[in-house]
Amino acid sequence: MDRRTALRLLGWGGAGVALGDVASVEPALARALRSAAQGAGDPAWNSGGPLVAYPEKLPLIVLTDRPVQLETPRRYFRDAFTDNAAFFVRWHLDLHPNAVDLSAWRLRVEGNVGRTLSLSFDDLVNRFSPVSVAAVNQCSGNSRSRFTPRVAGGQWGHGAMGSATWTGVRLRELLEAAGVRPGSVDLQFEGLDRGRGPAGRGSHRYLKALRLDDPVLDDGLVAYAMNGQQLPMLNGFPARLVVPGYFATYWMKSLTWIRVLPQPDENFWMQSGYRVPDTPGGGTTPDNVRAGRVTMVPITRMPVRSFIVSPDGTSRVPAGLPTTVRGIGFSGNGAITRVEWSEDGGRSWRDVRLGADHGPHAFRTWEAAWTPRVPGEVSLAVRATDARGDVQRDAPVWNPGGYLWNRIERQVVTVGRSA
Amino acid sequence: MSSARLAAALAALVVGHTPAVQEATPPLGVVRAGEYRVRPPETPVVVAGAVYDVGAFPLNTPELPAGDGRDATVAMCSVCHSVRYITMQPPLPPATWAATVRKMIDVHGATIPQDVAGRITGYLQTHYGAR
Repeated sequence: MDRRTALRLLGWGGAGVALGDVASVEPALARALRSAAQGAGDPAWNSGGPLVAYPEKLPLIVLTDRPVQLETPRRYFRDAFTDNAAFFVRWHLDLHPNAVDLSAWRLRVEGNVGRTLSLSFDDLVNRFSPVSVAAVNQCSGNSRSRFTPRVAGGQWGHGAMGSATWTGVRLRELLEAAGVRPGSVDLQFEGLDRGRGPAGRGSHRYLKALRLDDPVLDDGLVAYAMNGQQLPMLNGFPARLVVPGYFATYWMKSLTWIRVLPQPDENFWMQSGYRVPDTPGGGTTPDNVRAGRVTMVPITRMPVRSFIVSPDGTSRVPAGLPTTVRGIGFSGNGAITRVEWSEDGGRSWRDVRLGADHGPHAFRTWEAAWTPRVPGEVSLAVRATDARGDVQRDAPVWNPGGYLWNRIERQVVTVGRSA
Repeated sequence: MSSARLAAALAALVVGHTPAVQEATPPLGVVRAGEYRVRPPETPVVVAGAVYDVGAFPLNTPELPAGDGRDATVAMCSVCHSVRYITMQPPLPPATWAATVRKMIDVHGATIPQDVAGRITGYLQTHYGAR
């Protein structure tokens, strides 16, 4: 391979990448930051990458640097809403935008429609009625590093999730303005990111689709604001799709094209990527996969989950001192109706106090008063129930993509003597 | 591919940053995309009018350990993504690494000659494999 071939492989006139010159993160500093941000007591809650400050972001945990994937440290889940600057980041293709010109950018609604729309940012903000929804955005592969046996892919801890108030235009309103023609089947979404792979492949364009008869469309928004501010560039400025209840794979960032298709979208990201076994809970076994006994379907809704945010195991807690156990719960199948906690590793359960209700799609905070009595190791656990009646189980899920993890979570805390 | 030619290909890849990219038909409204730097400038990006610019994204790419197939691995994998995609993986079985390299070629269209693909697979199995 000669230089020209190498440049052609890179595409777009020889854009290069730094390979040898590694950004140095002072190990001691990295440890200190990690300790402060994540709690030294349970380093496994998050993934193990360095903490780096990206544009518009607090120091977050780097999974990958090109394209950018950043995980949110545990401490930021103390709140019902996740700060924009702390919100996780996951791009698929490395040519995601650094700079966008709103005088040129347009949201296009096109394809099998009566009237193609080409809307400026100003049109979106001012020509439609703004609608807001509080909703959790969670990566399909959140907690993938928990899988046994391990699976290839982004090795997220639990921090590939966040909850925000999203403000924008109803997807239905845009579709009505464009006029969906009879015989339409799918809605395809595309953003501004591109990859260096050849045209026609998943490595070149990231495309996702929803069926036009999917009731989730009624809840869909094209959001131009997140927690009352513009979206950070890394979270999809200038607008992104919001699909409350569904995993983040559908929440197209820097959304620019909405295409109404008269046939099902069979691109890689629907046909091969982000598929889960068609079983209750989406689990199977490696043997079933090897034997070809698994039917795969596109991933959709998020199963019920809950987390302990504090205590995080950083420090020992003195016996006899009243303290508070805090955390969050959420589900893609309806509001959280109950959260229970355990101080004996899940043998007995008690109800928590639920925090403010921000709607069925948002994080629900919870807390429970706890006075540890006996010195030694205590295993705290939490489980949530959603409006559909689904209760978290103490059973791992396994599938080849590393999706849908929702096992009961635990936090080991050491209780110290107080006299 | 000879090691000298591979080294030349690698040298072509090694620059301090990725310059702004120009696609034949750039996506609507994109001024710059895919710009990464090992050390992004500390001075804020100057923006004007309707341009919203956050500057380059910091690169934090680890160096892979020396070994047969290392340069081919770095050169080929880095076309689309940094090798942090490799270093973040848990130890994976040999068949999983083989399938991953095949997927990059067959599904994602990576143009990797067969002998080079074999060396990349071997390197990944040796250095990032499950025992």
